Amino acid sequence: MQAGDEAALEMLYKRYAGLVFTLALRIVGDPELAREVLQDAFLRCWDGRETYDPGRGRVPWWLMGIARNRAIDLLRSRSHQARLREQQPLSSAAPASGSLDAADAAALRRAVASALESLSPAQRQAIELAYYGGLTQAEIAQQLDEPLGTVKSRTREAMERLRVSLWSLIEPRGEE
Amino acid sequence: MTEEHDHFIDDLAAYALGSLSESERARVEAHVTSCSTCARRLKEYQALAGVLPVGLDLVEPPPDTWVSIRAGARRRRQPHGPAKRIFLPNWRWATWPLVTGLVAALLVWNVLLQREVSLRPPGPEVEALARRPGRLVILAGTGTPGASARILVAVDGHHGHLAIAGLRPVSSERVYELWFIRSGAAPVTGGTFRVDASGRAWVAITVPVSLDDARAITITEEASSGSAAPTGQYLLEARAWR
Repeated sequence: MQAGDEAALEMLYKRYAGLVFTLALRIVGDPELAREVLQDAFLRCWDGRETYDPGRGRVPWWLMGIARNRAIDLLRSRSHQARLREQQPLSSAAPASGSLDAADAAALRRAVASALESLSPAQRQAIELAYYGGLTQAEIAQQLDEPLGTVKSRTREAMERLRVSLWSLIEPRGEE
Repeated sequence: MTEEHDHFIDDLAAYALGSLSESERARVEAHVTSCSTCARRLKEYQALAGVLPVGLDLVEPPPDTWVSIRAGARRRRQPHGPAKRIFLPNWRWATWPLVTGLVAALLVWNVLLQREVSLRPPGPEVEALARRPGRLVILAGTGTPGASARILVAVDGHHGHLAIAGLRPVSSERVYELWFIRSGAAPVTGGTFRVDASGRAWVAITVPVSLDDARAITITEEASSGSAAPTGQYLLEARAWR
């Protein structure tokens, strides 16, 4: 895709559009806005293809970061936070309809679901509010009425557990 | 690991999840430039954050989305073509004239604004503004390339004027709406307006929140009755002001 190959963009879309849309929908809670995020994420990815640094990680996770940031920007510009928090917690039952291309996609899905399930409810909540709710650690501490240090430690512990479980499956391979 | 590293590792996880304030983010970014251990861990956490959505129930996007994306990519292809590269060697030489030109254009723009203020019928806000503009906000056309706007906020911090150019005129069912975006709170409108046939407008506005509490100021297109929150694309945007 770095050479400006539209077919490569299409392939990336076929593989990851479902995942990006799912992420965007989870954050903004509105299909029309989620579609806007999806379009924007892929076009930003296209715009940034010449400056993409493989050292930053695999393309899909880069794309997911772009989509998440755009969705949070939209979320913060709207009063959707309350509705978002009423939505279901992180799902641990991801059905295997094809979005990831790799042979290990199903294994990765199972691994992510299992890793999330292994977190304590408080750890899952910390990840949920930070990643999907777009709240800062200070805002989470305020909302939960807990010390900031506790929230930060809990978030770190959750990410550490996920890292131990998942890192071997997602480390950069430079194949994109 | 030292206590300092423990502290940063807490922040690294939050950073990767996009859950730090601006100052905390800057501190982490400064730290990882000089600490390879934290830099490596941050990359790992960022990759983990990217993989989190894999755990969600998958929802397929609307089927026509790819067509829109492809059309957008084609529109953007031109600037990456070889024609642009022909001019690259000249950019270094062109930098200073370009900067000088931009500064001159900004000066002319501000002089014109001041002149426009002086031509308005005298009113308390305009008088105060013309005598001593409190603060200046410059909005760039992020969603509408070529559009630009200035908000001159009076010294009382609550009244101001918006001067805008480069927006297309809208139908009678639509208006442009000014928004003040705050962190952790609903956006607040600063008023609605339309532009004239040449795409320009000069309108008195209310500044409903302290500029210090606003994270961004933006303009969207909305239904003529105005909206409770921005629903359209951000056509112009400012994220910093003096």
